[in-house]
Amino acid sequence: MDPLFIVGLVVAIALFFDFTNGFHDTANAMATPIATGALRPKVAVGIAALMNLAGAFLSTTVAKTISVDMINPGVNITAQMVFAGLTGAILWNLTTWFLGLPSSSSHALFGGLIGSTMAYFGAEGVNFVKMVEKVFIPALFAPVVAGLVAFTATKVAYIITSRSQAERKAKDISTGRQKFKVGQIFSSSLVALSHGTNDAQKTMGVITLVLVAGGVQTNGDHVQLWVVLSAAIAIALGTYAGGWRIIKTLGTGLSEIKPPQGFAAEVSTGITILASSKFGFALSTTQVASGSVIGVGLGRKGGVVRWGKAGQIFTGWLLTLPAAGLVGAGSAYLTMQGDWGLIVDCILTFAVAAAIFTISRRNKVSSTNLLSEVEGASEVVLSARQIQANAKSQKKAEAKAKQKGKKKGKK
Amino acid sequence: MVNIDWNAFITVFVSAIAFTTLIVACFSLGVRFLTNAQNSAPKARKGNSKAQQAESLNLVGAYLFFAVCLSALGYGIWLIVPFVSH
Repeated sequence: MDPLFIVGLVVAIALFFDFTNGFHDTANAMATPIATGALRPKVAVGIAALMNLAGAFLSTTVAKTISVDMINPGVNITAQMVFAGLTGAILWNLTTWFLGLPSSSSHALFGGLIGSTMAYFGAEGVNFVKMVEKVFIPALFAPVVAGLVAFTATKVAYIITSRSQAERKAKDISTGRQKFKVGQIFSSSLVALSHGTNDAQKTMGVITLVLVAGGVQTNGDHVQLWVVLSAAIAIALGTYAGGWRIIKTLGTGLSEIKPPQGFAAEVSTGITILASSKFGFALSTTQVASGSVIGVGLGRKGGVVRWGKAGQIFTGWLLTLPAAGLVGAGSAYLTMQGDWGLIVDCILTFAVAAAIFTISRRNKVSSTNLLSEVEGASEVVLSARQIQANAKSQKKAEAKAKQKGKKKGKK
Repeated sequence: MVNIDWNAFITVFVSAIAFTTLIVACFSLGVRFLTNAQNSAPKARKGNSKAQQAESLNLVGAYLFFAVCLSALGYGIWLIVPFVSH
């Protein structure tokens, strides 16, 4: 098969991957402002799409992590190899999405590409030192940093805006914390911007990698303008298209988040992703947002972690990379069989995508599947109000028992 | 593990915590001052000069902090873009 044809195919599939990434992640930026009532859903989705578009133009450092750092110099990258890695990532991503397992598109992409490279060239093909530095460590480090930062920021916000009970009664004033809703318009835009910066660049990296493999470009140091443009447009369109799913956010675990917490979470997510993008760390934006949501939940008085839920999410995160790697390696073995293997792999990917799409449309109404991983993370922390509600019935029962005891004592 | 640039991680951590705390703290201060101003507003409208002064002082403070907050955000984004910061 003409290598240029495969290059074209990879570009098309990579852009599709970019589109689904936007589709999947609209909620990361916009779920909290919609939940707190800071933005109307339609406006929020429009802003998110525009900000993703803008963010994609900010930098290409993360793209180069894929197109330059990932594979050892001297390895003769082929278009088939990139193709196998990408389809492996998509297959794993769609399956976890369908099963409702917490996963990460970014880690699926890296897993798939690493698996495929190893299948073709063995472990020597992958630059593991760079991968540890730019993918593995950031993957563990960034959500924790975002969580710590969000926790601190929430504490700061509540301390600064606190008013004593006496002051509130004497002057008949509020804390004014509802004003954080206005801030959320900016902070959620920041998250969308950072999402465009980090995630659209991964697509640019893959496209650049395949352009090098196909001989269209001599090395991966430079990302061509049309690549930046198309990746930006694909992620923006995906974000806009994914908006309808956001409306489900109301009344879920995220609705426990108050405006100051939402603001703190979004600023923390946005800044952490932007700072990481600066150094070419290709991290999972979803995991960073999840870390922040857990951090702000704990930052407010009385938040308690449900370790079981946290453990579930964390296991899902750890699983993504190796699992996608196996699928990527599987696709790689298929493509090694020659053209028919490549065609089978292609048909398989499209068939799974089509099947999952039709099934998910049919089940659209069911509320059992989570809107996003961030929503799942928001259920990790029990807020004080939730604990109170749970304990209320118990307290009532206790109070009744006490009253009975007192009455008996008087008699 | 050889040649891992640990400084990059420290920089990310320090800048994330510094920028986020600065932005959130400034916004919170802005919120506090703005709420103060709104509290003095009813008396100020009735012509109480002390309340009028308090209202305008608090408003100035609020806008000052919102401005710091926005510029910190802008500076942060500016640092990311290699095109302009290098």
